[in-house]
Amino acid sequence: MALNRKVGFFKGLKYKGGGPMWAWILHRLSGLAMVFFVGSHIIAGFLTQQFGSDVGIAINIVYENWIFQLVLFFLVIFHAVNGLRVTLLDLWPALLEYQRESIWLEWLVIIPLYVLILFTVLKSALGL
Amino acid sequence: MQKITLKLFRYNPETDTKPHYDTFELEAEPTDRVLDLMEKVKGYHDGSLSFRRSCAHGVCGSCAMRINGQNMLACKTLVQDLKTSRITVEPILGLSVLKDMIVDMDPFFDSYKKVMPFFVNDEPKPAQERHQSIEDRERFDDTTKCILCGACTTSCPSFWSNDEYIGPAAIVNAHRFIFDSRDKGAAERLQILNDQFGVYRCRTIFNCTVACPREIQITQAIGEVKKAIATGSLD
Ligand code: FES
Repeated sequence: MALNRKVGFFKGLKYKGGGPMWAWILHRLSGLAMVFFVGSHIIAGFLTQQFGSDVGIAINIVYENWIFQLVLFFLVIFHAVNGLRVTLLDLWPALLEYQRESIWLEWLVIIPLYVLILFTVLKSALGL
Repeated sequence: MQKITLKLFRYNPETDTKPHYDTFELEAEPTDRVLDLMEKVKGYHDGSLSFRRSCAHGVCGSCAMRINGQNMLACKTLVQDLKTSRITVEPILGLSVLKDMIVDMDPFFDSYKKVMPFFVNDEPKPAQERHQSIEDRERFDDTTKCILCGACTTSCPSFWSNDEYIGPAAIVNAHRFIFDSRDKGAAERLQILNDQFGVYRCRTIFNCTVACPREIQITQAIGEVKKAIATGSLD
């Protein structure tokens, strides 16, 4: 009998698509993470306001932790800039020829932005 | 000469319930192709090894395989290009494996047939050939290069997750006719591709373009088709 065509998650991840494929995977993961972040933020707000619940406060402590904030900022910025890149490429297909360069450009935007955030978050976190 | 460790995916439907890997130690020239190594294994070590090949010169499209994790033509990939002495060859993903590297290409060709990959023009035949300007011919030149090897479609995560997705190869071949000024079937083809399993399953992941052994700008071709559907214009 022929083998099933199914491509499992890890088998797919092992395919060597390189930078473009990883940009897509990170885009998906950061999207999922944001649903989780925003969801937990809303739940925390609801719980604290309506019931003054400790769970809400606990979630907020995690949410306001500077390490969490750094991860959050990275994922949000990556998702936004990468999404913008794909949107632009989709609107002007002629640019797709330069998609590798577009990924470089993307990091060129993300890195300075992130350094700025790193600086701001660390400054208030460590009281510099 | 260089020592090569060749790891091959093996599956025999008559005796195996699960696939496994066989490893062979071979001597090879840096300019040998992966296909040459496989021929060597089949000729001298294990005659039961099964894989497709025909032209051995990158034109027939039979030998697409996953070589060190990436879709390539075995007959176009030199040992020296892989920059390692450990080579793993596996069948392309997303199609059921019949034996070793041989996969069932039927779903792939079914999608191909769906886009009417042939010339459509019911107008009366001109006295001589149908003329076309150099610029008009240039418009779809890139997508004429497809050899239907399946390297693009089987590198696409959208296709892996659902084989109803028509896939990059079919869209490339639709593009070849949609943007041909002599052809009159564009509207119908765009209609076929404007489907939940049509062009919009493409997530601009770009694996197809990287995998194409003919260096076709596949994602760009798909982008142009998407745009033609969205704007209703071929310009
Ligand atoms: S054998 Fe024909 S393309 Fe490789």
